[in-house]
Amino acid sequence: MKQLRLSKTIIIMMIRDRIAYPGRLIVDTFGIAARCGVLLILYWYIFNVKGGEINGVTFQITSWSMFLYFAFMTLRLRDLASSIMQDIKSGTVEILLSKPVHYLSYRVWWQFGAGLYPFFVAAILGTVALTFLVGIPATMSSSFFFLSLVGVFILSSILSLLIYAAVGLLSFWIEDIKPLYWIVDKAVMILGGSYLPVALFPPLMYKIAIWSPFGASQFITHTVYETWKQSYLEMFGIQLTWIFILGFIVTVMFSRAHKKVSVNGG
Amino acid sequence: MKNELKFALHTIKKNLASSAELRTSFLMNIFGMMINNVSFVIIWVFLIKTAGNIGGWTSADIFGLQGFVALIYGFVFSFGAGLKEMPRLVSSGIFDQFLLSPKSLLGRVATSSFSASAIGDLFFGVVCLGIYWSMIGASMEQIILTLVLCVFATLAFIGATVSIQAISFYFTDPDSVTRSLFELFFTPSLFHGGAFQGATRFVFTFLLPSLVIGTLPVEAVTNLSYQKVVLIGVLSVVWFVLSLWLFKKAVKRYESANFMTFGQ
Repeated sequence: MKQLRLSKTIIIMMIRDRIAYPGRLIVDTFGIAARCGVLLILYWYIFNVKGGEINGVTFQITSWSMFLYFAFMTLRLRDLASSIMQDIKSGTVEILLSKPVHYLSYRVWWQFGAGLYPFFVAAILGTVALTFLVGIPATMSSSFFFLSLVGVFILSSILSLLIYAAVGLLSFWIEDIKPLYWIVDKAVMILGGSYLPVALFPPLMYKIAIWSPFGASQFITHTVYETWKQSYLEMFGIQLTWIFILGFIVTVMFSRAHKKVSVNGG
Repeated sequence: MKNELKFALHTIKKNLASSAELRTSFLMNIFGMMINNVSFVIIWVFLIKTAGNIGGWTSADIFGLQGFVALIYGFVFSFGAGLKEMPRLVSSGIFDQFLLSPKSLLGRVATSSFSASAIGDLFFGVVCLGIYWSMIGASMEQIILTLVLCVFATLAFIGATVSIQAISFYFTDPDSVTRSLFELFFTPSLFHGGAFQGATRFVFTFLLPSLVIGTLPVEAVTNLSYQKVVLIGVLSVVWFVLSLWLFKKAVKRYESANFMTFGQ
């Protein structure tokens, strides 16, 4: 109950904070829209040149898959790693650890709350724009799609937060985690199907994308494909397995890191 | 001019020495960035494997593209990382200290910071261009052309970056605006060049020089197109001169910070 109150308070506070700066939101949304838009125009050309279909997938499906990746990115869950690193580098972690609130819960909810408003704005605007431009594929017009989308969204968010929390917590042992963060982030970007949609992956790369935590954290991009109905249970299973494994790793890392810090000490 | 260059080199040397002091972090930044950069090569090479050649582009051209872009980005932002810091310097009022310096204002700002990770980009660019040359079996003419185009593309990159960062003087919170505009300019330069045709090619060549720093140089070298070399040269010089003018004009809008540390 206490945890729920904490999460609610932080999320409301962060949403109010984001609403207070509409200029920043407009600029950020424009940036993502421009990047995603340019990419979609390029793929539109590629699909036209290749006769409208590549690997049995149409441009319509591809564009929705890539859009889901970019919309999910607006949650900025990956910033959790740099927030934790900043707390450790600046020493703020000492103060936060002495509070009667679990440090990781606080950081996770803070991150989630900070991205929620931009996510909804980008998702709604993008959905409207794509619906008018390319239309809605048949795979997205069933209630099964919406229900499974909600499920995969929750699991993807938890998995992403765990991946970036593990990277961030390494700051307790490594002086500069940025290089590691770049590698993990790019693994998520490639295997998640950002610039190259998952349907266009070569077979080996597709297997890596399915079985690695980096690809699993972006299963949201798989929901628009026709294969989703057959594979969703397996994918939920993979996500849950990684959540348990990474949850355990993060818990161990945090308890060790906690012992390493002497709060209010020298 | 000689004195300015001497001073810039001195600052770069000091920045490099100070950065290399934390050796592990310095090396990790360099190698981490090199591994990080492999991502775009993987993405576009796999696209070519799946979809075949697009716009006449092969895997070799992808290496050439990443080589040009990484080399130029690495060169400019390793030694001139201060350019990226301009929004922060302006909004916080730290820009004051540069105005007081008797040296070239833009040169002083650019060399005020150093990025170790950009050295990784620079090395990665050299490696990619080496692979590109060996894949296309480059002649001496193509190698020389690559080097000449690196100079032109660097001018265009500096031109576009300075023009975008100069916008910092027009906003109270310039960080988001400049970051978004820089991404709009830079991200397309990393995309598969063969897919830019018609309107997109026009926009990202003449309105934003994204293709001038990678795609057009690769096509000029691969096809030995001197027409494209001239176009790149002209656009680079225009962007560079324009950026100097824009920067000079924008600086006039700067309102100095006072003792209360109020910037802008």
